[in-house]
Amino acid sequence: MGGKVTCTLGEIKNRADFIVYWGGNPAECHPRHFTKYTLTQKGKFVPNGRKDRTMVLVDIRETPSARAADIFLQIKPGKDFEILTTLRALVKGHRVNEASVAETGLSIEQLRDLADRMKQARFGVIFFGMGLSMTRGKHMNSAAVLMLAAELNAFTKFVTMPMRGHGNVTGSDMVMRWSTGYPFGVSLCRGYPRFNPGEFSTVDLLVRGDVDAALVLGADPGATMPQPGIDHLARIPTIVLDPKVTHTSRLARVHITTAATGISAPGTVYRMDEIPLPLRPALVSPYPTDEEVIRRIREAVAKKPAWAQRPAAMAPTN
Amino acid sequence: MTGKRYIMNAGRTTKQGQQINISKDSPEYLAMVTTLIMHPDDMKEAGIESGGTVRVRSDNGEGLFQCKEGKVPAGMIFVPYGPPTCRLMGQTTDGTGMPTSKGWEVEIEPVAPESSQQAAEGAP
Repeated sequence: MGGKVTCTLGEIKNRADFIVYWGGNPAECHPRHFTKYTLTQKGKFVPNGRKDRTMVLVDIRETPSARAADIFLQIKPGKDFEILTTLRALVKGHRVNEASVAETGLSIEQLRDLADRMKQARFGVIFFGMGLSMTRGKHMNSAAVLMLAAELNAFTKFVTMPMRGHGNVTGSDMVMRWSTGYPFGVSLCRGYPRFNPGEFSTVDLLVRGDVDAALVLGADPGATMPQPGIDHLARIPTIVLDPKVTHTSRLARVHITTAATGISAPGTVYRMDEIPLPLRPALVSPYPTDEEVIRRIREAVAKKPAWAQRPAAMAPTN
Repeated sequence: MTGKRYIMNAGRTTKQGQQINISKDSPEYLAMVTTLIMHPDDMKEAGIESGGTVRVRSDNGEGLFQCKEGKVPAGMIFVPYGPPTCRLMGQTTDGTGMPTSKGWEVEIEPVAPESSQQAAEGAP
């Protein structure tokens, strides 16, 4: 279990003839996905655009994205893992239990049809959203979809990609990956990176009350986290860097207004396919950039005496 | 929880995403994140009128919402993410680093009309 067979959005635009959205609602949450990359664009190997592509939507409710789909498969909540595992079996020609399949909200014929279409595609892609990764099963659901896409490569070219949200969440993962080796949930307390989601991840640290200070950069956990985590942010010294006053600002000890990246501050943003894109600001801001504030805090901290004495072996000798 | 349970499915909408970038303090945003969508048959069974105020209770907390009928499967309710859903969502991450933000089991009960103002203000 592990690994992601993927590609860039440019390759999908030029090659993908079979597109699956699973547990996502791009019509509302990624409104330019269809028109920029996946459905309506004409590509090198899909010259007729939408006519050359088939789109399948798998979700627990009929969202506005269903109107754009050729096939909409409405499944029962919490049955993603079972369906993905059944598809893996069908793709490989194994027998499946039809009674178990009936509990998922889909029929065996629907799943056979989907498996056959996946195998017959020239270039297929599965985009998966929070409906898959943040419901019961979580990382096991994500692993199942990664495995399905990987195994389909025994028959045709198939890739997968998470529908990353927010401005630059992929950038945060990427920088953590090339600087520590891990994407998130990293502790540097011992002077070297340690990775353990559930122990070092932000929600867990805050809900358990393990941290005694917080620096919040480009996020609003005060409006998005479980309530015990929000309550803990209010108890400890919290510093917020944000262009606007947020829910988190109101419970923080310090709010520093910064320039808006991409509008009045330069920077780099990573697209959901992990391609870095430079941002060129159109406006001038009276406020400092996030980078400048962090650099100045770091310089001020570096001037302070070390909080712990050096071991005798490391002390300078005459 | 002892009453009938529904699956609460929190998510994003285009209008909510636009409003986040305008102001999370605006009445429009507060109205969006305190309005849930429910199947008409479920509303009838629970004795809830369209636009009425309901109390939603999960294992982790409770909150007041406006209830409207909409296109969701029976047994499910949909509500846009926001501060009110923070009080209801799972508090553990099952070792993944992410809380369960979709698919909670909740109970719903209609509340008296005088509590409608509280719901509009996002009060628990």
